Amino acid sequence: MSSTEEYQKSLEYYKHVSLFWTDLLSLMSSRPQSLMSTGPFRKFGVNAKKVSAEMIEINQEMGKFNQRLSEYYRQLTDTWNEAQKQFSKKVPEIPTDTEHLDSTKRIWIDIFENYFTRLFDSPEFAENFGKLVSSELDLATHWNNVISVMLETVNMPTKKEIDELYKELHLLRKRVGKLEKISNSGENGNGK
Amino acid sequence: MKKYQIQEKTEMASELRIDPRILAEFLQMNKNILDAPKLVAAPDEISMEMTPYDVVYSEGKMRLLHFNSSQQKQVKTPLLIAYALINRYHILDIHPQKSWVRNMLDQGLDVYLIDWGAPTTMDKYLGFDDYVNGYMDNCVNFILNESSVDKVSLQGYCTGGTLSTVYASLYPEKIKNLVLTAPVIDGSRDSTVVANLAKHMDVDKMVDTIGNMPPEFMYYMFSILKPFEQGLEKYVQFFKNIHNKEYVENFIRVEKWLSDTPSIPGELFREWIKNVYQDNLLIRNQMHVAGKQINLKNISMPVFTQVAVGDHLVSPECSMPIHYAVSSEDKTLRMYATGHVGMIASSFSQKRVLPELGQWLKERSEK
Repeated sequence: MSSTEEYQKSLEYYKHVSLFWTDLLSLMSSRPQSLMSTGPFRKFGVNAKKVSAEMIEINQEMGKFNQRLSEYYRQLTDTWNEAQKQFSKKVPEIPTDTEHLDSTKRIWIDIFENYFTRLFDSPEFAENFGKLVSSELDLATHWNNVISVMLETVNMPTKKEIDELYKELHLLRKRVGKLEKISNSGENGNGK
Repeated sequence: MKKYQIQEKTEMASELRIDPRILAEFLQMNKNILDAPKLVAAPDEISMEMTPYDVVYSEGKMRLLHFNSSQQKQVKTPLLIAYALINRYHILDIHPQKSWVRNMLDQGLDVYLIDWGAPTTMDKYLGFDDYVNGYMDNCVNFILNESSVDKVSLQGYCTGGTLSTVYASLYPEKIKNLVLTAPVIDGSRDSTVVANLAKHMDVDKMVDTIGNMPPEFMYYMFSILKPFEQGLEKYVQFFKNIHNKEYVENFIRVEKWLSDTPSIPGELFREWIKNVYQDNLLIRNQMHVAGKQINLKNISMPVFTQVAVGDHLVSPECSMPIHYAVSSEDKTLRMYATGHVGMIASSFSQKRVLPELGQWLKERSEK
């Protein structure tokens, strides 16, 4: 079994054990909890399981994220090393006079610029970068979910609720804009 | 004491077998870095407003600017400039000697400009429909009323060129002349590193998770464009030229402009990346805005396309297809030996790009 599979398997096991105990404890303690937890924090007690589930997911995503981040830095490091090799081939010895030093700097910039532009232009880089950003977004989603639970706990609007409000406002503005245009075209007769 | 120090440094240089001039340059560079705050204003201390203007119309964060001119208007048809969605409009008026806007005014044109403003989270649902059928159309209608003309000349720069193309296709009856400066049109042909990343982006996930496209992401995109030239050498040159007043003033202004990157509304970003870069719908006449098909053949007015050969943000191959896609009989394609920003804010643009454009517009505008 490869180390990635082993890691995945242990992560699944950890997830299962954690969920088992949070579920069971939640079931076992729900009655006394209801009796004892009054006020806004009662909600937190009810939602605590959601938080722990999200934290487990975050851990899982972190694995993927780190893998892609390592690949990102590997690509940068490899390119740097290749460019440096090329530079050393072209300029075996750093000159010690001003004129040659300036042209050496130019060569260094040109070589590094070419190598890195080639990297950024490659489908391998773009693909990994796309996946890296995607992993970051997965982490952000879980983090947003945790924050939403916290906000619900203290009776504050969540991101989803605010988004709904923004959307309604947006649609309302659009409708008003259209009505204004219709009324203006009625006044001017030519749409101006 | 001073004589002793110099002698000591020269001796040190000869011991290390280094040209003493290198050491002198190094010391001069250190001195320039230390002197820099005394010689140059901090970016926050300088104003980006150059040519005076009036805000004649506004809607949400968008403002329509009307520039004041001391010159006699030579043509009746006003010019409306739709700036890009990335950074702010200030680059078009960055310095009196390099100002696009001032040059157009000096050539006797009546200049309006759309400042898209800085969208906030609240604006995440704004899309092409809102920008084109809303903001742009309202601005055009306002100008038509103000100037008592039937048509305006429309110029779009970069992503503003994409919006202007869409607008001209939907409202050809309101556009006298269309000027497209480095427009983003055919993403499949764009050979820049930005296009490469855009094609591999999960834009749905991005917009659904974070809403607007944050400036940090745009800064990342900029950082991969010539990272050594723009990220290192540029600053070395700045400190080397610290006593050249004109150079440093221009440098700081451009740097300030570069760092002023507002977010891009999420929906607009989604539509732009998908329709232009990933599915390439615009150039294939398959893009839809508010249910209406964007047919580039609807563009039959005179079209002037300006392309920069050294453009590493929007490659010429990405912009040029518009010249062949429109149905206009009167169309001009000009390629300039400069870059994306050099085409609009440089001595080159003042000498070559703007006189040609001014002449072209004047010949085709209502007198």
